[in-house]
Amino acid sequence: LNQLRWDPTLGEWVAYATHRQDRTFLPPAEYCPLDPTKPGGFPTEVPRPSYDIVVFENKFPSLAPDAPEPEGEGSTLTPAAAGRGVCEVVLYSDDHNSTLATMPEGRIRNLVEVWADRYEELGALPFVEYVFVFENKGEAIGVTLHHPHGQIYAYPFVPPRPKKELEAARNHRRETGNCLHCDLLAESSTTAVA
Amino acid sequence: LQDEPAMKKERETKDDGRYIIFFSFEDEEPAPDEGRRG
Repeated sequence: LNQLRWDPTLGEWVAYATHRQDRTFLPPAEYCPLDPTKPGGFPTEVPRPSYDIVVFENKFPSLAPDAPEPEGEGSTLTPAAAGRGVCEVVLYSDDHNSTLATMPEGRIRNLVEVWADRYEELGALPFVEYVFVFENKGEAIGVTLHHPHGQIYAYPFVPPRPKKELEAARNHRRETGNCLHCDLLAESSTTAVA
Repeated sequence: LQDEPAMKKERETKDDGRYIIFFSFEDEEPAPDEGRRG
């Protein structure tokens, strides 16, 4: 099930993806599905013995390009829609024990290039309105695999927080004629950090 | 500003139909202790 349901109490879409309850949950390190597939070893998500940076479609996506239309369209108050979008996984390194914080700057720069590539490609899809690159880290926030990785969600709508950010930037432009983030950058570069 | 690193992009289809993209770069400096410092 990949479905969007409108929450009228918050005024926002909520994504339902029941199959995510079955996703791989904290496997032992020797059976990490994000490691490269070693010769004679068990097949992982990456069918190569080594890799640099890899992106693949999430096996348990919250949004899918071929999400079916909901059987019922919901009510006027609580409409439903297809959970159409793309969910990708980004593997930062084939070293299971690496972390983003300990990677050399060159690898992080390459990762940013990959993020930019995915932002451009996914953002150009006709059903995508917003591309969100993110990383969850730590079991407390719900991470189920420790291998260094992040995710990308390509949404069919602009989520509430970036929508507010866009509105704030537009308001600043209207009121001052300036770019909000340019002004923030200029202010931070002239303000001493306490 | 530095030049952008040369990025190689190989797109393949997995057995179950999902795509996988292999990115590789030519300019990354060697890091023998990568990932083992913390």
